[in-house]
Amino acid sequence: MGEVSVDNKSDEKSRSERPVDPLIVDREGHAAFILGNEAIVRGALEAGVAFACGYPGTPSSEITDTFARLAPQLGITFEYSINEKIALEMAFAASLAGARSIVAMKHLGLMYAGDPLATIPYIGTVGGMVIVSAGDPSCMTSPNEQDQRPVASMLHIPVLDPGTAQEALELTRFAFELSERSHLPVILRPTTRVCHTRAEVTFGQMRKREVRGFTRDPSHLVPIPAHARKLRAEVDERLEIARDELRRSGFLRRSGNAKTMIVAAGVPAAVCADILREQDCDDSVSLLRLGAPFPLPESWLVEELQRVDRVLVVEELLPFVEDTVLRLCAQNALRVDVFGKRTGHLPTRYEYTPELIGAAMHDALGIDYAPATPTEHVPTPVRAPTLCAACPHRGAFFAARAAFGNDVLFFNDIGCYTLGFGEPLDSADALLSMGAGFTLAAGVSRTTGQKTVGFMGDSTFFHSGMPALLNAIKEGVDMVAVIMDNEVTAMTGFQESPSAEIEKGRIQRRVDLAGVVRALGAERVEVVDPNDLAVTVAAFRKARETEGLSVIITERPCPVFTQRIGDAAVMEEPCQSVEAKAATTYTIDHDLCQHCGRQACGHRCGQSATHAFEQAMARARSLENGVPVAPVEVAPCASACPLFLCVQGYAAHIASGDYAAALELIMAGLPLPSSVCRVCHRPCEVACVRADQDEPVAINDLKRFVVDWADAQEEFPYAPTLEPEHGRHVAVVGAGPCGLAAAHELRLRGYAVTVYDSDAEPGGLLLTGVPRYRLPLDVLRRDVARIRATGVEFVGERRLGGDLHLDELVEQHDAVLLAIGTSRSRSLELDGPDGSEGPELVDALAYLRSSRGSGAATGRHVVVIGGGNSAIDSARTALRSGAERVVIACLESRAELPAIRSEIAEAAQEGIEIRTRVCAVRRTADGIELVGVEPRVEGRFDPDNFQPVAGTENVVPADQVIVAIGQTVDRAAFGNGNTLDWHDGRLAVDSTTLATPRRGVFAAGDLAPGDGTVTGAIATGLRAAWGIDRAMRGNDAADRRPPPPPARASAGSVRPGVERIDRAGRQRPPELDEAARRSSFDEVTGTLDEASARAEAARCMICGACGNCRSCIDLFGCPAFFVDGNKPQISEDLCVACGVCAQFCPNGAIKPVEVEA
Amino acid sequence: MTFRVVIAGVGGQGVLVAARVLGSAARYADFDARVGQLHGMAQRGGSVEGTVVIGRGSTAFIGPGDADVVLGLEPLETQRALPRMSDRTEVLMNERPVALATLTQRGVEYPELGTILQRVRGVTERVHTLDARSIAERAGSPRTLNVVMLGLLAGLDFLPFVENALARAVDAQSPERLVDINRRAYQLGRESAAGTRGVAGS
Repeated sequence: MGEVSVDNKSDEKSRSERPVDPLIVDREGHAAFILGNEAIVRGALEAGVAFACGYPGTPSSEITDTFARLAPQLGITFEYSINEKIALEMAFAASLAGARSIVAMKHLGLMYAGDPLATIPYIGTVGGMVIVSAGDPSCMTSPNEQDQRPVASMLHIPVLDPGTAQEALELTRFAFELSERSHLPVILRPTTRVCHTRAEVTFGQMRKREVRGFTRDPSHLVPIPAHARKLRAEVDERLEIARDELRRSGFLRRSGNAKTMIVAAGVPAAVCADILREQDCDDSVSLLRLGAPFPLPESWLVEELQRVDRVLVVEELLPFVEDTVLRLCAQNALRVDVFGKRTGHLPTRYEYTPELIGAAMHDALGIDYAPATPTEHVPTPVRAPTLCAACPHRGAFFAARAAFGNDVLFFNDIGCYTLGFGEPLDSADALLSMGAGFTLAAGVSRTTGQKTVGFMGDSTFFHSGMPALLNAIKEGVDMVAVIMDNEVTAMTGFQESPSAEIEKGRIQRRVDLAGVVRALGAERVEVVDPNDLAVTVAAFRKARETEGLSVIITERPCPVFTQRIGDAAVMEEPCQSVEAKAATTYTIDHDLCQHCGRQACGHRCGQSATHAFEQAMARARSLENGVPVAPVEVAPCASACPLFLCVQGYAAHIASGDYAAALELIMAGLPLPSSVCRVCHRPCEVACVRADQDEPVAINDLKRFVVDWADAQEEFPYAPTLEPEHGRHVAVVGAGPCGLAAAHELRLRGYAVTVYDSDAEPGGLLLTGVPRYRLPLDVLRRDVARIRATGVEFVGERRLGGDLHLDELVEQHDAVLLAIGTSRSRSLELDGPDGSEGPELVDALAYLRSSRGSGAATGRHVVVIGGGNSAIDSARTALRSGAERVVIACLESRAELPAIRSEIAEAAQEGIEIRTRVCAVRRTADGIELVGVEPRVEGRFDPDNFQPVAGTENVVPADQVIVAIGQTVDRAAFGNGNTLDWHDGRLAVDSTTLATPRRGVFAAGDLAPGDGTVTGAIATGLRAAWGIDRAMRGNDAADRRPPPPPARASAGSVRPGVERIDRAGRQRPPELDEAARRSSFDEVTGTLDEASARAEAARCMICGACGNCRSCIDLFGCPAFFVDGNKPQISEDLCVACGVCAQFCPNGAIKPVEVEA
Repeated sequence: MTFRVVIAGVGGQGVLVAARVLGSAARYADFDARVGQLHGMAQRGGSVEGTVVIGRGSTAFIGPGDADVVLGLEPLETQRALPRMSDRTEVLMNERPVALATLTQRGVEYPELGTILQRVRGVTERVHTLDARSIAERAGSPRTLNVVMLGLLAGLDFLPFVENALARAVDAQSPERLVDINRRAYQLGRESAAGTRGVAGS
């Protein structure tokens, strides 16, 4: 029975009769079970109130709500005023018009109404005027707790403190009398406990309403200074009248005649009475209950104090009465011990509970009060208040953070939307008071020059946001003012807002909010539906990009309210599909939700989700994609990567600024990151879906940014986890990228590893083949050092087939991995002059090796034959070594060149001529003769496939010719090789485990079939390590770290339906200028700076699923989501099928379903 | 005599309605009563607590160890009321949890039902649990869970007044269209009392 009829049916009435509201039963002595707030209303009715108004605020709201319900049938004029100042002035005007008036608000509102409040006592009231200012000790629903009494006394306004519902009724009724007799407004100050406690209340008689009319009296009603000075004296006279009235009222009353007395007011007075009765202390302790703490009749109080020798003052918050008591004792030289806050027996903050008061009574007065022994404290998770499921504010905050990122400051305001505070929406950097969402945003923006965002609801906007916005418009502040219009004052219980009213059960617009904003002078005003994320994000993005003030109105009625009034129409939109329209709830498809295609390999990314990570993820999805498109299981970049690196994962981490997490993802799959991010052939960038939209994401530059960031840290922020050693020993022959990667991987698996190499230093081709302008030596050495730090032993200057024999290795180790690569260049036979005449012919490997990457003996005119990476490397090395002219000659067309694209482009940029579709025919005395060729069969690359084109012969002058037409394995290294098979010039291996037919011998890298790239070689090294582990320790142990799956060049990287909204272009790293390049081996390509890296990372569209995504839970924060085991779920009970989560779910896993009621 | 009942649950479960009904029931039986409610900023899904104090007095406070009955509409919320329990407190608990929504991300996990029960039993042996949610569904709507719990309270006969008063209060506070369904829920709750007694002794 969550629903109970709104009209509070009388219990006694039979249900067939027309219900009479129990509050208006006009029978003296009638008892009803009502809330303290309702008792206040009843008291006002009994006093004949004719005008009621207020602004809702917990705990006062039921007062105005009850008036709203009863006023029409009683003929009382009522309004929800737009703010407390207006309300107070309206009530005062009614008083001047000769009517009894009441105005209700919470304590905060009284301060807002402070300006008129200070002058009303001067002018004086005519009809009795009561101001209900509900207090909230312990800040249960407020940003502060305040004691209104000092303010009231400063302004000469009497204060009444009810402690029970019955007192609330009686004091309210009395307040009108007091006001009328003293011509002062009277403040009634109930606290949360009174307002929200339901108790039996006995009614008095209802009094007829009366409106006497306005009487002109300028000397009183117009407080110009001359009048005001005279009126000031009248204020004092009025206060004296009030004092007298209070003395005679019966609301200052004592029970008992003991020498010990408790002086108490409000709820504590009621608690004291209960405790004294329960402890049977009525005779030994008397109780002086003050229904009114101000203005106290002092002579009466002195008389009371003269009767006693001990007093305990019990009042919540400030020692207001206590100080009066102390002063009177001092002034009258009374020998009374006064206990209370000043003696430390009671605190000056928070609500007083019976236990606290009982303890003070015990400590100060020796009353026998034994508090219960507290049970052991059990921490219970807090159910933090959160925006409801389907709350439109959630969409607005989500979209705003999405568009602005984490660095922009958000200022919030008072209302439901305050709950945007903290995780996960994180939408309140500061909060002050009604309307301050805009002023805080404006003030910070004007002071620091940052663009800021301010939020407030429609009711708050009308309350006090309008002047704040006008002020910002006047100053042209660079900010975004967001008005979250849900058409109702939801926080305090769905009171009407000026923006809408209910007509025939439907919400009808009343004040045109956008019109008001435009009329204030705002030029850029956009109204969006916050449940339509794409539109809302776009509006926020536009506002972000536009300098000056933008106003965004997010308009959607509160769904709890519409449900309550039965207005079903508004919940229908927005929907993405017919299916969604019929949905009653949403559900999560866990095959999509936690599936990223890495399950088979045990979640290689191994990354626990972090907030920032998901934020970047979800943003990319909801924002980059114009239309929601289900992601592919594995992003094309990862599929194409030989190492299966989770690119979208590290991009998201970079975008969110979490570089350590990005590094962890990279290091988990790549043991030579510093080198690879400089020499990789980047198949990922070819596969990137963004390539189809504008330019691929600069994946390699991103990786390099992270790795260089990590290298720059004092301590490298990643350390691999090694399995415990198990005593098995593997020999790895060849310390190139493949051998090093395999050695590292074997160490992680607990193997002892010795790496042999013919060179004195590890690195292989990276050391001897890749020039320093691509890969500086210190960078390579960092990678090598990290690998050696895991315990890999390196033995240099040992050559397989020389002083190192396979048979011996097999004998001495549990397994041997051969990774010596292709160390012989293919040779080219060219006819020409003998002896010293004609150009010198050198092979590329030898040339690059002799250079050690930084300069070799080079001629003036160099021709390089070949189109692969060693051709380009040789040409560029020749240029840097002093060659005046370098020409590359190759059979391939430009598009067919196997070298890395960027390398080709850079070579061309440096002035290297590239002659394609030519063949070297012979040497001449001063050069080399080339002839144009054409393929016999188009699209096939094979030297025999080309035929010369007659008449295209020409001689290119050259004194050095570098031959770079490919490499082969040096088979001599394997001795007789009787136990190894060869296929196509490579060692034959099992394609899964890379085992050779010889037991315990494995082969990887260029020695085995592969793609001939550094990255590909590393992948085979990792695979071979796994293969060895399988052979040594079995599948189960080995499969705990599966190898990267075979790379798949993704043909399906074009994703129909995927659109980019953000058109930010690709960021480019700095490059060495051309002059410097020609004369040095300094690194050509630099590292992205932090800002560019984050911007570039944010270009990633996260087009693959992510198994670690929990964006719905951690980012959106809808209470309908919960986690069951490890899986996010949607609660059918709470989901109202708004469908907003489905719009951004990065995995496209949230689906509408129809559930039968 | 003062009889104090803490009603603990989650926003939307009808805690405050249950408190009001129990308060009216006391009045039907000619007892003085007060009903307090703490809902603060708790929107749907937040913790809500109602207190019903039956007998002479001025307030609806229930202090540490002072609850005669804890009517727990939800397990975790029942645990939250632990400080108000003593060894003589009768704890009536719906064993169907309302999940912790988004909080799980910060390492806050919903405790095991067994753990909650163990904690409650550490204070009082008088624990009565049932799957009130299923019973409410059987009555015709999960939203009658609060009435099922009131029915259980009546069935266990812990109240200081005749049970008829509570049945009457449930009727009186039901909107017309829900009278029958609430009566059914109340009855089913009342009948399930027999089944829960065993739990108390275990």
